[in-house]
Order: sequence, then structure tokens, then C-alpha cells
Amino acid sequence: NAVASSSSPAQRRNAIIVSHRQKGNPLLKHIRNVRWEFADIVCDYLLGQSSCALYLSLRYHLLHPDYLYYRIRELQKNFKLRVVLCHIDVEDVVKPLLEVTKTALLHECTLLCGWSLEECGRYLETIKVYENKPADIIQGQMDTDYLSRLNHALTTVRHVNKTDVVTLGTTFGSLSHIMDVSMEDLARCPGIGERKVKRLYDTFHEPFKRVV
Amino acid sequence: MVQFHEHIITELLDDPQNGSGLVIVSSGLCLPKLISTLLLLHTPSQGTLLILSPHQPSFKSQLLHHFHPSPIPEISADLPSHHRHSLYTSSNVFFITPRILIVDLLTKKLPTSQIAGLIIPTVHSLTETSTEAFIVRIFRSLNKTAFVRAFSDKPHSMVSGFAKAERIMKCLYIRKMHLWPRFHVDVSQELERDAPEVVDIRVPMTKHMVGIQKAIIEVMDACLKEMRKTNKVDVEDLTLENGLFKSFDEIVRRQLDPIWHTLGKKTKQLVSDLKTLRKLLDYLVRYDAVTYLKYLDTLRVSESFRSVWIFAESSYKIFEYAKKRVYRFVTSDGVMLSDKGKSSKGKKRKLTGDDDKEQVGGTSSTSTSSGVVLDEVLEEAPKWKVLREVLEEIEEERKQAFPRGEHLVEEDDDDSGIVLVACKDERSCMQLEDFITNGPHKVMRDEWENYLLGKGELRDLHTRFKKKPKKPKGFGILDGVVHAPTPQNAEASSINKQENDALLAAAAEIRKRAKKDDAVGDDPQLPVSGRGRGKGTVVAIKPPQNAEASSGNKQEHDVLLASVSEIRKQAKKNEAVGDDPPLRGRGRGKGRGKVRNKKGPANVKSSGNNDDNNDKKEAILDKLVISDSENEGQADQLNQVVTADSSEATCQGHTVDQGVLRKHTGEADSTVSRNAKPLPPVHFYALESGQPILDILRPSTIIVYHPDMSFVREIEVHKAENPSMKLKVYFLFYEESSEVQKFEASIRRENAAFESLIRQKSLMMIPVDQDGNCLGLNSSLEPQTMSSQNSVTRKAGGRKEVEKEMQVIVDMREFMSSLPNVLHQKGMRIIPVTLEVGDYILSPLICVERKSIQDLFMSFTSGRLYHQVETMVRYYRIPVLLIEFSQDKSFSFQSASDIGDDVTPNSIISKLSLLALHFPRLRIIWSRSLHATAEIFATLKANQDEPDETKAMRVGVPSEDGIVEDDVRAENYNTSAVEFLRRLPGVTDSNYRAIMDGCKSLAELALMPVERLAELMGGQKAARTLRDFLDAKYPTLL
Repeated sequence: NAVASSSSPAQRRNAIIVSHRQKGNPLLKHIRNVRWEFADIVCDYLLGQSSCALYLSLRYHLLHPDYLYYRIRELQKNFKLRVVLCHIDVEDVVKPLLEVTKTALLHECTLLCGWSLEECGRYLETIKVYENKPADIIQGQMDTDYLSRLNHALTTVRHVNKTDVVTLGTTFGSLSHIMDVSMEDLARCPGIGERKVKRLYDTFHEPFKRVV
Repeated sequence: MVQFHEHIITELLDDPQNGSGLVIVSSGLCLPKLISTLLLLHTPSQGTLLILSPHQPSFKSQLLHHFHPSPIPEISADLPSHHRHSLYTSSNVFFITPRILIVDLLTKKLPTSQIAGLIIPTVHSLTETSTEAFIVRIFRSLNKTAFVRAFSDKPHSMVSGFAKAERIMKCLYIRKMHLWPRFHVDVSQELERDAPEVVDIRVPMTKHMVGIQKAIIEVMDACLKEMRKTNKVDVEDLTLENGLFKSFDEIVRRQLDPIWHTLGKKTKQLVSDLKTLRKLLDYLVRYDAVTYLKYLDTLRVSESFRSVWIFAESSYKIFEYAKKRVYRFVTSDGVMLSDKGKSSKGKKRKLTGDDDKEQVGGTSSTSTSSGVVLDEVLEEAPKWKVLREVLEEIEEERKQAFPRGEHLVEEDDDDSGIVLVACKDERSCMQLEDFITNGPHKVMRDEWENYLLGKGELRDLHTRFKKKPKKPKGFGILDGVVHAPTPQNAEASSINKQENDALLAAAAEIRKRAKKDDAVGDDPQLPVSGRGRGKGTVVAIKPPQNAEASSGNKQEHDVLLASVSEIRKQAKKNEAVGDDPPLRGRGRGKGRGKVRNKKGPANVKSSGNNDDNNDKKEAILDKLVISDSENEGQADQLNQVVTADSSEATCQGHTVDQGVLRKHTGEADSTVSRNAKPLPPVHFYALESGQPILDILRPSTIIVYHPDMSFVREIEVHKAENPSMKLKVYFLFYEESSEVQKFEASIRRENAAFESLIRQKSLMMIPVDQDGNCLGLNSSLEPQTMSSQNSVTRKAGGRKEVEKEMQVIVDMREFMSSLPNVLHQKGMRIIPVTLEVGDYILSPLICVERKSIQDLFMSFTSGRLYHQVETMVRYYRIPVLLIEFSQDKSFSFQSASDIGDDVTPNSIISKLSLLALHFPRLRIIWSRSLHATAEIFATLKANQDEPDETKAMRVGVPSEDGIVEDDVRAENYNTSAVEFLRRLPGVTDSNYRAIMDGCKSLAELALMPVERLAELMGGQKAARTLRDFLDAKYPTLL
């Protein structure tokens, strides 16, 4: 379970680092799927190299409306993902939540709400566990057969439709050929007009990065 | 047109407020007819009349049915705007979708001065925040003279919630409410003056049905008691009577939804249990015994073990009785396992009768190793018999009426020859039709066979659920022989194993037979797949095949039934070929015998057997093989057709009967009764389908098989409209059943609703000066007044640009939701445009994608949300995801107890976390309700510039040279190339940057060898995948 003692850096990388401020927060009981340990940090929870979280109970916010602002200001710009984890523990949420929303939004924090300590704990765990996870599960199921994948890729180029994909495929035989043909060859394809030719060609030949 | 409709219309039109008003009538008083009459009064000189398209399509079609001159076109978003404009000014009547109407009002494309008025046909589905209210508010601010007329025929939904009627009237700026209950003196007088002749038939339920009903009510009562203990729901609402209605769920949910996440599992389970029980009660009188048992079995499998009711003491009885209605068990030496059997044994014999099918499977007393025999009871619904008798009686009366005058007969034939049987749903219709055609035994037998076939599947499912892969194939039924004993599963505890085995064996028997049938009937119409089945050994595979086979048979059967003439032809052929005088003689004799006892059930049975035998016959005729056992049946059958053909006087009764049977299926009856007199066809009508059936068919006799309040009223109105017409109505009620109770309760409930409305009407506080009221609100549409009012208070006093009220740009598609309305109420100016990116643009920086909870889950699954966020992040500095909870639902995703122990990819928490991780710039707003959202929007806009309409529209839409404006990344990246790259297989979030670093462009990538790719992508496998994809040969289409 919780490892409060100091440990090697390698271990620390796999653990949530918890600020000493959070000592006594019952939320810690609910972090079970990931190891965690105390350390001196600015944020409440350090969830990865560039992600951190501040914990805020709405009840506490009602007593100290400025608290969140000062905590956010402390963070400075050291993190890419700054989560404000808001525990909804009051009945009448509209007004306090409005304030929290505004503060978080205007100070570049992502607001996540949990209605129980279990839920809040789960957010922290998940963000840690998914630190390097690709977005597959929220990108929707894609058909994995060749034609669908080819469609999926080629139709990123605006105005290229499925018919064009078929035309390109049958004319040039493979994707690597399509990506390498000249403007004239593209222009020879039926249904692919001047604009599409330019768009396709630019997509394939313009460098990924424009900055020189 | 009925008198009281006229009254309603005059009362409405006389209103000083140019005929605006809210009209509430009892259900069944033909509201569509009323509205269409009103439409007929419309003249072009008044201007264009707009009807807001009702949500239920059936209502619209009924309206159209009654509105004769020409169909009413609908204005929807599909029409181009200039086309819409010309329609608006054409002074005709149109349906219009609320979504397009509000957009056109906001963009001032609708010339309000040319509108005569608005009609809102189903006002009960309205709330203050719905688009309709928004429409009327804007409309009123632009045009104060046109009328707004709202209608409803659902009084009970007008009283749900606090002062609903009053609130609706306020938001529609209507001052007057007109109430027309059924008990209104004008209405009742008119409807009762020439009331139709009513025959009320109370059918006693069978012993077992009564038992089941009693048990269900006991369990329901117990559940309600439990519910009261939770103290979460108003005790007054928790009555058994309420429990009979669907609206009970609404009552409970309305009270529980806001606190749903705080409820314990038990309370939630109780809510769903009550719903299940109500269904069970309803189905008891609607379904036949076998289907009912099947439903119960399904419930047992699907209901979670958490459910309370299934373990209640009385529930056992439900299952027990339901089973007894279908089958029982006997030991192989004939001793009943359960109570008294002799009588039912007799019944069984009678059931098996002369149906030749029985010879194979009828006695299907299938012995198993343990010596238990399955004995079919197959109790038929008591109403069936009564229905048949009633039909016969009608026929009798009709025949008596015939000789009195041919003239009358013809008249009858013109408009009212049809007997209308009204049932609740399509399913009942089909079953009754089947029953009338084929007799009860065939129907029950089909259901029973289906049931047995399904049994195997269900058990299979069950074992699969239980994850007992011990012997998924080992225990199978090899053509009826039960092998290994069934594993001990939950089922075994309730149905004992022996029974189960016997059932399965019976199922196997049927399968075998189905197969045999199949082999005999080599009809080309049979699907090939049905025949291609070998001796499947695994139960898991067999049932579907067999189901197919039996449906194949059914199809075959139907085809035969349809082509009566063909049958006759074949019968003739048979006559010619098999010229066996004794056979024919015998057949005829039999036929006559049947004619004589026409009234008896035997007759219908025999004709039922007709069709039943047909398919057999055909198959056999083709081969010219007439087996001894089937001889008699065939001759009989044959003879009936022949006699019908030659129209022998003695057989008239019989042909008449056949006419009834055939005609209702909609075939040309002439083939059957070319020479016979006109026959009463039967039409089955499903109340659910909501068609103006009475006006279409104009029946003289109606049998209300499932009583329904509004249909009864429709009949009354129909009669009142046609006072000269003779109309006889039969009601079939189950005596002392929940059906009666429900019917009576529905009338009580409606009356109570009207009484409450009358009370409300007397106390209502409707401001007379409502126009002024709406003016103040509509600041956005009255910029002049607004600025002059505010100019004093503004610092720069009176400068033109100062009147800068808040503006929100809203995507057209968002007008399905209520948020634009609420934002407008808050005083924001709504600008509808078509947006490529986002739903709401609050400022040049802030773009909001709104998701209701349901949307959120769905668009996470589909991946749409990911892409929407992706584009928002690309084009706006502050991209926002708004998660909007509903005011009357709980403010949370799940209760603490629903959060499992592990991080699972399917949880909403995981998805949101992942979204946050991938788009750290995305801001999330959690909003309690629409109004909270509006407030948050206002706060966020406080220090921001107003959004630019034209700019917002252009966002995400590339200009001519393909460069997208405002694309934050576009300056640095070739965005479409990056996007393209990321969609290639093998490329992931973690390696695409490395690829971009390592190669200049896609063209370069195309030529890169796999080794180099492996270096860049950090793995052989990914590189291989990518390379293979790039080089894959495009499949040729030819």
C-alpha cells in the first residue's frame, strides 16, 4: 500500500507524489491501484512529469473562496496538465461551482469533479496509470481492414472523398506510389480537379514542419 | 363534424385575444379532427398559418388524413432559405419544425407580419425551456396580433408537476384555457344521444391466470411496502392503482432522479422491479400462456440475482402457475407427478384431435432416461374462444338480416361490412389473425414449438453466462437422446433436472420433425440453408437452424394460404389423378357433417386444419403419394375446397366460414366465394399504430379485444358523427382482472386531472398585460429600445456602439436543445449560424462544445468527441467541453458504490482522464442545469470581446488556397500532412514526432526503407506495419 518512506527515483517515477499538505486527507485511503508517497512539492499531487493536480473540497472553498486562486498562482507554468480536482461535497452546488469553474478556466486549469472520495481517488489513479496511454479507447472503433484504413488516412485531405480514394488506389496501385507521384499524374485522375491535386500534393510534399 | 367540436371552435375564436387559447380535451375526442376543422377555416387573406410539427408522427398523419383539400407541406431545414421565404409569404398552411422556425425568427428571415398565427398541437410535451416557448416569445415580440393556439388531449400530463398548465400558458402568452372533458355537458349529451349498442362481455380468467394475477399483485404490494420504508418517495403516490400505469415510473423517477446517485442498490432495484411486475401483469392478459412462460423464463435469466421480487414468496407461484398453463409432467406409466391429471389428460386428447401433425409430435410425451413424460396442457387464452363465438354470432345475425332485403345488404357491403377487432399491439393482431385462420391449437402448438426450440438456446445462454466451459459440446442432444446430465446451474434449482431434460428432449423431437417435414416438402421456395443442415450435434448450433426451418415451413404455409386458387387447382388435379371414388365419397360425407354442426368449435378447427394440412398435402400431391394415415384428412380437406368451388347449397355455411377466415388477410375473397354471398371480413387493428381506422373502414361492428379509454371515445365520436349508422360494439374484458381495473382507473385518473385543471383555472394568475412582459425580456430583438433605456446608465451615455449586449454565436444544430432559449432569457443575443467547429462561440477565444450526459457517453464511444476537441484545440485559445447535467436528474455520473476496484478502460472516469491527458489545454465546465450553464456563460464572457459571426463561421473551413485561418498550428506545421501521418497504421502518439523529425515529408516517408523506419519508430513491428501498409497492393475491383 502506501509507501511513506523514501525510495529510489525509479520507484518514484511510478508513484503519485503527494504533498505534505495533503496529510490527513481521507482521499489518500482511496488511492489503491497506484503507489504514492509524500514529498515536498508545490502542487497537491504530482501525477507525472508534466501533470499535477490540486485538490479542492467545495465545502472548503465556501469557507476560503480565495484559496484556489492562490494555489493555482503558486503552480506557475511548470506543468502541461494542471488539474483542479473538485470534490462536490455540498448540496447547493451552483454558485460555488460557478466560482471554481471560472477560476480554473481563466487560469488554465482543467477542472474535474468527483462526487465521492472514491471517485476523486480514481481520477488521480487513472491519470497516473494512463500517463503514457494512447487515446485509442476514446477515438472510436475504426475498421481495421485495408480499405477503411486507407480511406481514413486519405480523407484527411480536405475534399478528397471515397471515390477519389478508389481512383487513386486503382491508378497508382499502392499508397507509397500515391504519396510519391507528380502533380501531372495526380491531375490525370478522373474526378480529381486542380484544387484537389494541389491539396494532395502539398500534403505529401510540403515538409511536416514549416519552420526553417 | 360533431357539435361539440363546433362549440370548441367558436369558443376559441370568440376569445378577445384574437383567438389565442389553450384547449385541453379528453383523450379520444378526436383532437386531430378538431384541429383540421380549424385549419379549414383558414383563408389566405389572414396570412400564413404555421403548425409546429408534433413529435409523434401518427398525430401528424391523422391530421393530414382529416385535412382534405390538399396535403400540408412541411417546412424543414432541408429547404433552402429563399424557398422557405416564399412559403412564408404564400398565405397557406404549413407544418414547420420548431428548429428551423426559431432559427428563421432569430435571423429575421421570417416576415412575422405575414403570419396569421401559430398552432401547437401537442402542448403537453412543452416546458418553459423548450424551443416552442422560445419561438412564441420571439414571435410575440415581433407580432402582437397573431394568434397562438395550443392543444392537448392528454389532460393528465398537463397536471404533472407544479402548476404546469399555468406555467405553459405564461410561456406561450396565452390567457385563456378551454377545458373540454368527456363529462362536459355538451360532450356527454351529444355522445350519449345516439350511443352505439354495447355488448359487454366479461370473460372469466382461468384458475391459473387468477392465481398469477393474485401473486403478482401480492408481490407488487410487498415491493410498494418496501418502497415506503425508504422514505424517499411521497407515500401518497405509492398506491397499487398508480402502480398499474406507466406513469407510475415517471412519478417515482421524478422524485428519485435528482437524488438517484445517493440511493442504495435496494431502492433502485425496487423501482425496476415494480416496472417489471407491471409488465408481467399487463402481459398476463395480452400474451398467450406459452409466450408468457417464455417471457418469464427470459426474465429469470436476464434479471439480476439482486432483484427483490424474484425471490419473494409469491413469485414462486407466478412461475409455477405459468408453467402449469403450458405443460405438466407425468411419469412414464401415466401417473401424474403433479395433482389431478385425468381431466387434463382428456383435454389433451381432445387437443391432439385429428391434426395429423400430432402423429409425429403431438403426443410428444417424450420419455427420458428417468421416465418422466411431458404432458402438454397448452391452455388457450379464454378470450379467444369468446372472440370466435362473437364472430360467429355476428355472422349469424348478418345472415338473418340478409333475406329481409337485398338493398340493405348492399348498403352494408358498401361501408360497414367489416368487423373491426381492436387489440393493443401488432403482436396480438397477428396472433389473433393466426388463431382465426388456423384455430387455437395450431397457434398454441407453434408457440409451444418455438418455446421448446428457444429453450435450448436459453439454456445455452445460461451456461455461457455462468462460464462453465466444462462440457460446452459434451452435453448436447444428439437427435433427442439426452446425454450427459445437465450441469448443476441456477435453473436446476427451480425447474428440476428431469423436467428440464424432458423439455429439451421434446425440443429435440420437434427439431427432428421439422427436419423431416422439410425433407418431405421439397418446395423450391424453401431457403436452401434450411435444408443444408446436417445432423448437428451441438445444441448451441442447432436451435437457430431449426428456428429457421420452422419459419421456412411457416413461409411455405403462408404462401400456400395466399394462393387459394392454386390450391384449388391442385385439388382439382388431385381429383383427376387420384380418381378413387370411395375416397371422395368419404370426404364429402365428412364435409357435410361439419357443415351441419357449424356453430361448434369443431368446424373452425377443421378449417384450421385445412390450411395446416395444405402444405403437407401439396408436398405429397406432387409426389402422388397418399399415405393411409393422412388419407382421411386429405380427402376431407380436398373435399372442402371442392365443395366451396361448386357452391353446393348445403355447404354454404361452410364457405361462409371460410370467407371469414380468408378474407381478413386481405386477399381477394372472390377466389373463395365467387358464387357465395358477401361475407363479413375481419380487420385487426393495433391501437398502438394510431391510425384513423374508424374513418377508413367505417365498420358496423367493433370488437374491442383490449379495452382502451381513448379508443372507446373515438368510437363514440364516430357514432355521433354518423347517427344514422348502426354500430354495435363488443367489449371483451377479463372478469375481475387488472385489465378492468386499469380501464376504470384510467377514466378516474383523467377525470381527476380535469378537476384539478378546473381548480387551477379558477385560481390562475395570468397577467393581462403579457405583451409588456415579453417586451422587457426581449432586449435582444429590440435594440433601439434597449439602447435608449440603457444609454443613461452607461458611462459613455448614448453612444451608438455602447449598446453592446452580450452575444453568443450558436450552431444551427444546437436548437434542438433548450440552452439557446435559456441564454436568450438571460438577455443574451443569439446568433444562429452553421459552425464547423464547436457549438457555442462566447468570444473570439472561447469555443464551447456542449454535451449532455447521454451525448457524452455516446460520443466518447464513437470517437466523435475526440475529434471535436481536436479541432477546437486547433482553432481556439480556450476550447471548452461543457458537460451539462439535467436539472431533474442526479448531478453525478455514478454513486460511490458503482466505482469498481480497478482502473478500467470503459469507465467514464478513465475516458475523461484520457481526454484531459491528451488535450491539456481543454477546459471542462460541469454544469448542474441549463440555468447554471447560462450563468457560467455570462460570467465567462464578462471580460471578453464579443465573438465575430463571420469569423466564427469561417473557422475550420479552409479558404481557397487550402490554408485554414486561425489555425494555431498551421503556421508551424503542415497540418493535413501531420494528420495524415497520424492516421497511418503503426504510427502512434508516441512515435509520430520522431518520424516528423527524421523525415521531411510524406513523400520522403513513402520511400523510406523499413530499417530506417524501425530506427525512427523505435520498433521493428510498428515499422513493418507501416511499410506493409504503404506498399500494400490496392485490391483491384474487377
